Amino acid sequence: MTTQEAPQERSNLQLSIRNAFLGQEGVLVVIMVIAVIVLSFTSENFLTVDNLLNQARLMTEVGLIALPMTYIIITGGIDLSVGSIFGFSAVMLGWLWKEQSFPLEAAILASIVIGTLSGLLNALFIVYVRVPPIIMTLATLALYRGMAYGISQARSARGYPDWFFQFGQRDFLGIPTQIWFLIVASIFAWILLARTPFGRGIYAIGNNEIGARFSGIPVNRYLLFIYVFAGFMSAVAAFLFTSRVSTTRADSGTGMELDVIAAVVLGGTSIVGGSGTIHGTLLGLVLLQLLKNGLSLSGVKGDATIVVIGVVLILSILINNYIQKRFRQ
Amino acid sequence: MQPILELNHISKKFPGVQALDDVHFDILPGEVHAIVGENGAGKSTLIKIISGVYTADEGMMHLEGQGEVQFNSPREAQQAGIATIYQELSLYRDLSVAENIFTGHLPRRRFGAVDWPMMRQQAREILHSLEIYDLDVNRKVGMLSVGNQQRVEIAKALSRNARILIMDEPTAALTESDVEQLFKIVRLLQERNVAIIYISHRLQEIFTLANRVTVLRDGQYIGTKQVAETTEGELISMMVGRTVDNLFPKLETEIGAPVLAVRNLWRKPFTLGVDLTVHAGEIVGLAGLIGSGRSELAQVIFGISPAKSGQVLIDGKRVKINHPGDAMRLGIAYVPEERGSQGLIRQMTVQENLTLAVLRSLTQGPFVDRNAEKTLAQQMIEQLRIRAYSREQIVNKLSGGNQQKVVVGKWLASRPRILIMDEPTRGIDVGAKAEIHRLMSELAMQGMAVLMISSEMPEILGMSDRIVVMREGKVAAEFSRAEATQEKVATAMMSEQNGSGDATVIPSQDPTPVSGGMSQQ
Repeated sequence: MTTQEAPQERSNLQLSIRNAFLGQEGVLVVIMVIAVIVLSFTSENFLTVDNLLNQARLMTEVGLIALPMTYIIITGGIDLSVGSIFGFSAVMLGWLWKEQSFPLEAAILASIVIGTLSGLLNALFIVYVRVPPIIMTLATLALYRGMAYGISQARSARGYPDWFFQFGQRDFLGIPTQIWFLIVASIFAWILLARTPFGRGIYAIGNNEIGARFSGIPVNRYLLFIYVFAGFMSAVAAFLFTSRVSTTRADSGTGMELDVIAAVVLGGTSIVGGSGTIHGTLLGLVLLQLLKNGLSLSGVKGDATIVVIGVVLILSILINNYIQKRFRQ
Repeated sequence: MQPILELNHISKKFPGVQALDDVHFDILPGEVHAIVGENGAGKSTLIKIISGVYTADEGMMHLEGQGEVQFNSPREAQQAGIATIYQELSLYRDLSVAENIFTGHLPRRRFGAVDWPMMRQQAREILHSLEIYDLDVNRKVGMLSVGNQQRVEIAKALSRNARILIMDEPTAALTESDVEQLFKIVRLLQERNVAIIYISHRLQEIFTLANRVTVLRDGQYIGTKQVAETTEGELISMMVGRTVDNLFPKLETEIGAPVLAVRNLWRKPFTLGVDLTVHAGEIVGLAGLIGSGRSELAQVIFGISPAKSGQVLIDGKRVKINHPGDAMRLGIAYVPEERGSQGLIRQMTVQENLTLAVLRSLTQGPFVDRNAEKTLAQQMIEQLRIRAYSREQIVNKLSGGNQQKVVVGKWLASRPRILIMDEPTRGIDVGAKAEIHRLMSELAMQGMAVLMISSEMPEILGMSDRIVVMREGKVAAEFSRAEATQEKVATAMMSEQNGSGDATVIPSQDPTPVSGGMSQQ
């Protein structure tokens, strides 16, 4: 064992270099470079600082929710209700402020608490009643969206004070304010997953939940946390969204869960659980946004954009599968 | 009488184990032929070869009317008239009784449509021929009791005109009245000249039901006896009669104060009032048949399925264990029975597995201390001589013995005072086995309290300072190292005549007792 130390280290290093190139992240970087080159030739507006910063602004909301979604998918779960929690929180923010005369600060806080509690409801049923996540969150997808419509009575809330737009429409230290939220949250989520016992536990649960339980990992507590975290982040994203578009409507965030899941899966997180990274998710997120933007700048209509994104998703998964089979033993 | 099936010199090897070695006997038409042996004697492998699940490495079967046969799939065996009823019934829960009986050969009309009335009619006829009149053929099988499900399995076998019916532990999950019904059906089948191969651990059933009994031990054929000419004692000594070899370097230890004690521990249905004590420096061997509740007891103590009532005492102080985290903090470690699903996260690395249980204490602030993690993993790899090419190797790529060492290492890393090992050497090679035994012995010498669950008699007798035998969720007997013999331990495991078991006793030769049946001997 000890005499073989030196060659082992080398083979580890070689292995990790090879993995970096051949993993999903490597594939994504290559696709992204190709996409940027192609798009910058087809539209001269694409590769400009203004455009890129604006795209970053637009992807923040999906990005914030994709962080907890990465955890959830690594454990082998899914949360389909994030778009509805997003819409519900946004409506509650506007309704509490406008109809219930809450101070706006209190309405923001309350909407985030409500989003968090919505995540907690999912979590309790998934962990203690053992309802499969896909069923539970499909039910609350309908439930929370229904509550958003019921409470808003299809009226939108507008006319927010000027300071409120700082978060969604203005810049802070030269870049759009909400990107700071995404940066801080991403660093937090990355460290939590890659560097703490909690993160290791998340991977263990995704690979073998029984084994994780037998190892004394507090599986229930961890699972509770990630679904609550998803509710919380959905509500934060809803707040930034409201500030960006200056209005709250009950249909905000409809279908958003698909963008979120697409970013996570495109980023290399296995949909059956066990593997995935935060940086992969961020790459997936950026690639999706670049494609959407580049295609619309090139004059591709909205429907066709969705088709292209679907094709890219399938291709990246195929390439990844091929590489895994071919090179990893 | 001409045998219906002859087994000629059947051998089967699995990696590291000779599961069957030159087994040869015959089955007569219309007889109930029991096969007995300890856990791991080769009974399951044998019936899997007869029923076509496995193919023998050597030897042939001779089937009456078909000559030499070698089945390559269960389907071939079925077509040859051999049906098997496994302990785990293989029915479709959401289909009706009639559909289950005719699975794979539904009666058809023209154009291939299923002939439903015909199917129901035939299903009823088959059930009636077994004197079963109270089973609606339209009911979903999932709604039936286990006993009725088993009757459906038997009817299914008959619908294919089985001439040989293999029953693997058919009474293990049955209630008393279901057992009586089953025996009645077995006798009916016997009258129709169906040969029945009957696997059971319950010796009394064999004396009630069987004509002949064949004993296997460690994959070898020991002998076949007429039931009328043998006794329980003779069968048990045939089953266990091996010499205990000196593979086990059990070191003499100083036995200290009680460390772990459980008092009247309950969790239905497998833990029914257990009392047990393990002292410092002591290895307690927990023996029992599969299904006797040993692993379940360990999981109750470790908090995976917490106790409903009763006490757990550590150093004489009462403690509450609700989940594995509690048990770990109290210094208990549990090396589980299923290495792949319970013991390891197989897709993760050797290092990640070794440190998984203790990771939350290997931290600097909120972060994993990666140097401490590496050091610990390296130390465990060296201490246990785990043969991996690197700490970063995926555990699944290691041999069984090395995987087991990783599980043991993972729990030694938690520095336990009480180590529960569930089948610690199952399915690993001889070398790794000896190393695990040496380690266990050394740990006991250092004062650890060890509770070892094992289905291997030599391991139990060789390693234990004291042997506790469980049967049907309770402690049935206890022996010191000096007084334990294979016969005594095996008798306590299998026979209701010894100990306090209140299990069903089947009145012999009378298929329909009127007494209601509960009697104690």
